[in-house]
Amino acid sequence: MKALLSKEFKLCVHPALFIYLALILMLLIPNYPYLVSCFFVCNGIFFCFQQARENGDAMYTAMLPVSKAQAVKARCLFVVIIEMIDVVLMAAMCAFALVAMPETNGGGTDHSLSLIAFALVLFAIFNIIYLPSFYKTGYKAGTAFLKSAIGIWIWIILSDGMMIASNAVMESSVDIAFFRYLHENVDCMPKTAEALTVQAILFGAGLLLYVVCTLLAAKISVKRYEKVSVA
Amino acid sequence: MKILQVQNLRKQYPGFLLNDVSFDVEEGCIMGFIGRNGAGKTTTIKTMLNLSHADGGSVLFEGRDVWANETECKKQIGLVLGEFSYYRRKKLNAIVDVTKRFYADWDETLYQTLLKRFSLDPEKKVSELSQGMRVKFALALALSHRAKLLILDEPTSGLDPVSRDELLEIFRAIIEDGEHSILFSTHIISDLEKCADYITYIKDGKIVVSTDADSFKDAYRLVSGEADQLERFRSTLIGYRAHAFGFTGLMYAEDAERAEGLKVAPADMESIMIYTEKEDGHESAAQ
Repeated sequence: MKALLSKEFKLCVHPALFIYLALILMLLIPNYPYLVSCFFVCNGIFFCFQQARENGDAMYTAMLPVSKAQAVKARCLFVVIIEMIDVVLMAAMCAFALVAMPETNGGGTDHSLSLIAFALVLFAIFNIIYLPSFYKTGYKAGTAFLKSAIGIWIWIILSDGMMIASNAVMESSVDIAFFRYLHENVDCMPKTAEALTVQAILFGAGLLLYVVCTLLAAKISVKRYEKVSVA
Repeated sequence: MKILQVQNLRKQYPGFLLNDVSFDVEEGCIMGFIGRNGAGKTTTIKTMLNLSHADGGSVLFEGRDVWANETECKKQIGLVLGEFSYYRRKKLNAIVDVTKRFYADWDETLYQTLLKRFSLDPEKKVSELSQGMRVKFALALALSHRAKLLILDEPTSGLDPVSRDELLEIFRAIIEDGEHSILFSTHIISDLEKCADYITYIKDGKIVVSTDADSFKDAYRLVSGEADQLERFRSTLIGYRAHAFGFTGLMYAEDAERAEGLKVAPADMESIMIYTEKEDGHESAAQ
């Protein structure tokens, strides 16, 4: 597995991935839907799959002393590592924003544990759609990405849309308990005990969903790739 | 001792069937795997090594099931599918650095020796190598992890005669110690005349014959005769070509012995393959 991971990082990484990871700096933009930065990371991962495909990685890997299952698992682990790097960078940016950007984010979810939880859900959606879809053929990276992008954008619109709506409602004269709760405990920096608890639960749920979806995605991908003829 | 045993290998594709392919490769020998384009040579090799999932049959390497012990068996097998055409923008050094991590038995001294012998510059990118050099790089990778069996799919196709001859010499040198074997697929039959000990001939996904090279050639004769003799011998000819002065064709050796009035000569591998492939095309060949 170590050797396979080394192959992924040394031969398959597309340079654009680093640029997309650097787009975590978008979290410094005031009033912006920060989950979009995670979509760019997914885009970077898609570029790596494309790069590997164009370089005949499947055939090269098939010649190495590894099974198809090991090759798929290593690629899934590579994806997880990239996503976790982004989550860690996001956490660091959120911590920085606690001090440097106290204003409420009017463009989506605030710098918070909720944001990280939503990012984990986004990556879970990407993994469960993209990986099994790609490994159904072993080469249709674009189709798989298109399918996953639909899922990702539905989630971004849904989650950030709710937070934008909660802000809008709070700024209006209408008082809706659900949106007030969101505004005070979810879409804010976790400065109160209740907000911290709610966001910690959200984070836990997001993490759980990410783990379950990724393991399931890897399992389905392995099963599907076994039937694929490497050409 | 048999280093590789392929038994009843079966793979169904839409429009193509790899039909119960069976053959053995002996230790210390070169087995030529011949057949025309699309006969099933590459499909056989890919299915053997689980690049394509087989529908049936078994493949044993040194008595072990290759599919059940894929990782362990692949460590002892060097697979070269034509030239090295992967990661074309990467330097050879970068590719080797990754590749050698997969093999506990990687022999760096041997690799460096092969680089010098093949005149390969490790600082060059794959895209900067000629076709022949890419084949040599693929061979260097396969040999440096001390593979006991080299499976080479069309390694000489597209190479100039000098490079091909050079490679054939290398193949002979590889098996000299009696511990290495080569399964060498090609449609360039003249290459096999120079180096193969055994021949396996595949046609339309089915093995026609698998035997030692001398027996393979001894089983056939090239015959030629006058145009008026053609009708008499048509049924015993495996394949033939009619021309203004008569015909030339291929017969089984025992039929040729009984064929009075025909000129009989030893058959070379290329003629055997050409006339065997003409088997279904008597009429068009005769026109």
